[in-house]
Amino acid sequence: MSYLNQPDYVCYVCNCGSLKPISKIYFCRHCSKIRCGYCVCQEVDSHYCPNCMENLPSSEVRLKKNKCSNCFKCPCCFQTLSTRAGHVPLRVVPADGEDSKDVKTTPKKVYYLSCSLCRWTSRDAGIPDQSMATGGWPEQENPHTSRINTLIDYHKILASIEKQQSERKKFRPKHPYMQIAMFRITSAMVRKHIGHPAKPTNESTDQPSPAVASTEVEELPTDIFTKPVEITKITTLEQRLQQPDVQTENVNELRPQHRQLLVRRSQRCRVCEHNLCKPDFCSQSAKFKIQLAAFYHVPEVRIVTCEPLRPGKSSELLLKFCNPTQHQTQVVLLPLDTPMTPILTLVDEKEEVKQDNAQQGSESPNLLPSIVRQVPVVEETKPIKITANADVVLPQNCLILPRRDDAAEYDDTGDTHNFQDDPKFVIWRKGNKAVIKLHVTPHENIEENNNQPVVIGFVMQYRYVNTITTLEHKAPQKLDLKVKLYLTIGNIVGSA
Amino acid sequence: MEPQDVYYSKAEYVETASGNKVSRHTVLCGSQNIVLHGKVIVQSDAIIRGDLANVRTGRYCIISKNAIIRPPFKKFSRGVAFFPLTMGDHVFVGERAVINAAIVGSYIYIGKDAVIGRRCVLKDCCYIEDGAVVPPETVIPSFTRFAGNPAKCVEDLPECTLDLMLEFTKNYYQHFLPLSA
Repeated sequence: MSYLNQPDYVCYVCNCGSLKPISKIYFCRHCSKIRCGYCVCQEVDSHYCPNCMENLPSSEVRLKKNKCSNCFKCPCCFQTLSTRAGHVPLRVVPADGEDSKDVKTTPKKVYYLSCSLCRWTSRDAGIPDQSMATGGWPEQENPHTSRINTLIDYHKILASIEKQQSERKKFRPKHPYMQIAMFRITSAMVRKHIGHPAKPTNESTDQPSPAVASTEVEELPTDIFTKPVEITKITTLEQRLQQPDVQTENVNELRPQHRQLLVRRSQRCRVCEHNLCKPDFCSQSAKFKIQLAAFYHVPEVRIVTCEPLRPGKSSELLLKFCNPTQHQTQVVLLPLDTPMTPILTLVDEKEEVKQDNAQQGSESPNLLPSIVRQVPVVEETKPIKITANADVVLPQNCLILPRRDDAAEYDDTGDTHNFQDDPKFVIWRKGNKAVIKLHVTPHENIEENNNQPVVIGFVMQYRYVNTITTLEHKAPQKLDLKVKLYLTIGNIVGSA
Repeated sequence: MEPQDVYYSKAEYVETASGNKVSRHTVLCGSQNIVLHGKVIVQSDAIIRGDLANVRTGRYCIISKNAIIRPPFKKFSRGVAFFPLTMGDHVFVGERAVINAAIVGSYIYIGKDAVIGRRCVLKDCCYIEDGAVVPPETVIPSFTRFAGNPAKCVEDLPECTLDLMLEFTKNYYQHFLPLSA
């Protein structure tokens, strides 16, 4: 929770060098490495309307220009419009000779759109009321639709010509004597060759007339300087930018806009291309099909309390460790300059990627066809910008954290496992959590008044049980993984 | 950071068999229409208007001081009608917040001084920042953070929001202790 509304006190260093809180990083089980938002592929999983929660397939989304066809937003304040029902008594004009008493006024239900925030209604804009509750609202026409469509069509033709030319180049024999290459042209290629006129002169007839710049500008209306300006009737910049194709000047010309769709994203590891996070298809549920957020795999470190910090003086720092996995883990704290295996393997990683590209499609575990896939781009390691300005005395012994047990909280018998903990090091223990005591000494050169926070850093080595069965490893693997942590523990209070 | 213990005086709070802790200094109108599903904390001067329509909360909901929970109404051609207000599990309602929503899902944080307009629907795992004003009949999708007046989506929430909220409300309940003195 503190990750949602507090600054990031405890930061984990991702393999790419960026500092992230545990809530924003992922743990790839296939590479056994930490990945942050910068070193995963963000993919659009599904489009949905934020108002009616309807899921739309991507083909339909493109057709509807990323907008929901049923929901509207207010053109003034951009909130969702709601449909209101009103009664309009239908006045039937009595025909000649008939008694007007016979004709009943039948009330008819009509619908209009209204904004509950700024009280804008479709009646203000002069849009006629609808007899149906949903749909049937007049669409706002772009004045340049026909011009845009001809340009799009023209560029489609250009694209197809370009594609053909590049295909032809591919099949041109590299050496004049390599006549054999000629026979590699398939019949389909030949047909394409003949079927499509290669000369661009033929297409030029479809070429739309180019835009012409004109030197003549419409003259300003004569009353421009005399008419008083009514600010309330002129649209704001934001309102105009919400409808870029029309950009009306007057408030009464504003028309309701279709609600833009939102996307749900899934994350994919760029190195091994496995999914790290995949939401449920249903846009309403908060569950995930694949959930490899680090919060569920890497021990979490929290600051419990810290004594007032004085330069050069030792203070007590209490840290809480929590094991989120279903397996017992052991945590060892190492100094910051411990060689990090991930840095060494990052070089390998790039080689792996190169190898992987060479043999794409044959045995890589990818689910996507090789045409769709892009060559994964591995982030360059960034230098870590933060520096620790306090010394921390790290304990020699390791901390064993039992597995997570959701039923334990209902168990009143107390902890059953007996750990031989050093009471000076581990001061509290319950279930999969433990609080340890460390001693921190801020550097002498930190001054009180320059608001420089005290930062400590250490490397946490933890045992991770990988339950993924691969061809090589049938049994769960036990790995000792390392992650670098930087903790912002507070400000200097008083001088030494 | 770890949550700090919050102490309350034993005389002020009533604890029910299901673990609800309700302050005596609250206004619970129409208490027969209010269902608190267990381990719910209702702090002093909170108002729950059960007299208008049913109010149901899930488990581990925290209703802070001076918060107002009021079922929404809808205007019809003949008068108005009130609709029940349901709240899921693990919902935190900040101090002085006013809630007129129709449905409040689970794992939701509503900040201090936030106003949730009439007949809003808050989907699971969303975050309303302090002082946000959500206009009436708005739908707040999952994994979004809303802020401002009128409230707008400012950012996406991390994927582990569900467990963060779950832990937060459980921790809050565990750290909400009677003053032993």
